[in-house]
Amino acid sequence: MGNYVCSQCRGPAVFRMRHHRLAFCQPHYLEWFIEQTARVIEKYHMFAPTDRILVAVSGGKDSLALWDVLWRLGYQADGLYINLGISSQEGDYSNESQRYAKDFAGQNGLRLHVVDILQQYGESIPQFASRSQRGRIKPCGVCGLVKRHVMNRVARDEGYDVLTTAHNLDDEAAVLMSNTMAWQVDLLQRQYPVLPAEDGFVRKAKPFCRFYERETAAYSLLRGIEYEEEECPFSVGSKQLVYKDMLNKMEETTPGIKMNFYAGFLNARSAGYFSPQNKADNEQSRELHRCPTCGQPTASDGACAFCRLVKAA
Amino acid sequence: MPVTLILRKKEYTVEGTITVKDALKQLGLSPESHLVVRDGQLLTENDALRNGEVVKLVAVISGG
Repeated sequence: MGNYVCSQCRGPAVFRMRHHRLAFCQPHYLEWFIEQTARVIEKYHMFAPTDRILVAVSGGKDSLALWDVLWRLGYQADGLYINLGISSQEGDYSNESQRYAKDFAGQNGLRLHVVDILQQYGESIPQFASRSQRGRIKPCGVCGLVKRHVMNRVARDEGYDVLTTAHNLDDEAAVLMSNTMAWQVDLLQRQYPVLPAEDGFVRKAKPFCRFYERETAAYSLLRGIEYEEEECPFSVGSKQLVYKDMLNKMEETTPGIKMNFYAGFLNARSAGYFSPQNKADNEQSRELHRCPTCGQPTASDGACAFCRLVKAA
Repeated sequence: MPVTLILRKKEYTVEGTITVKDALKQLGLSPESHLVVRDGQLLTENDALRNGEVVKLVAVISGG
């Protein structure tokens, strides 16, 4: 078995993607990756060159790679790090992750907003979760709620046009599998690479949604980005990891199956297969109110779930 | 001395000479969710690992 050659220059390849039937040397992979990101941004009309972009940064490989690619493409992209106050026996996960985000911002002269949940709201995510029904078994539900609230608030308060997250194809395929297994059609309707701004929600975009997770990792490694390699201690045994593992087992025997699963869904969705039959019913079920405490949109007719969580602290 | 592969501070060993693909298979690790790095250089699945070498395994799947 010979070594692979770069599809571009025929030199020795360092990374191969079976589903694309492509292999690249380091410079050509980095180039290809940036071009593909630009293509996805354009394909889904995610944002314009003049838009102000807020990048949700966790300190991990995906979000730092996204921030790196966006500023290299010339976008005005600032970062947002949310310190969740998570630590474990293995280490100080949140503070370590923040250090990677701050170092990246410092090295590249980029602006980073930091929101420390414990300092700002009086409790860390594990503390919030421990006394909440939503987080009693695992704090991930509470964590998602807090992050969504803070990301939208900062994006609105600071006047950003779009909030970007580094969800990759493995993330999207795992969510799609989860929603499909439960036939959660309402959630399938809302899964898309870009969600328009509406009723107080800022526009959201996922420029990495067509990359496999190993591709974003390869970009970070080949670019020399230093990132938090440790996993969130609460992610152990998560449903998302179980689905990712299942999808990767299928990918090993059938290259491209993850991509086909997700891309096929997007095509079906665009063709209207997941659209509500009755538009009025759908709009009613999505009717949003303004939270009297924080002013953010909420489905409940009173304080939003975030404010109820914080108030109970 | 066998090949040493380090994944998040945990050490694994396999007998060389062996390809990256076969080493991952022996350890029961998916090539879809692990990358192999030697001296900062990314290796493809056909690259050979030789006895005495120490390489880093990078888990690429995250989530919660």
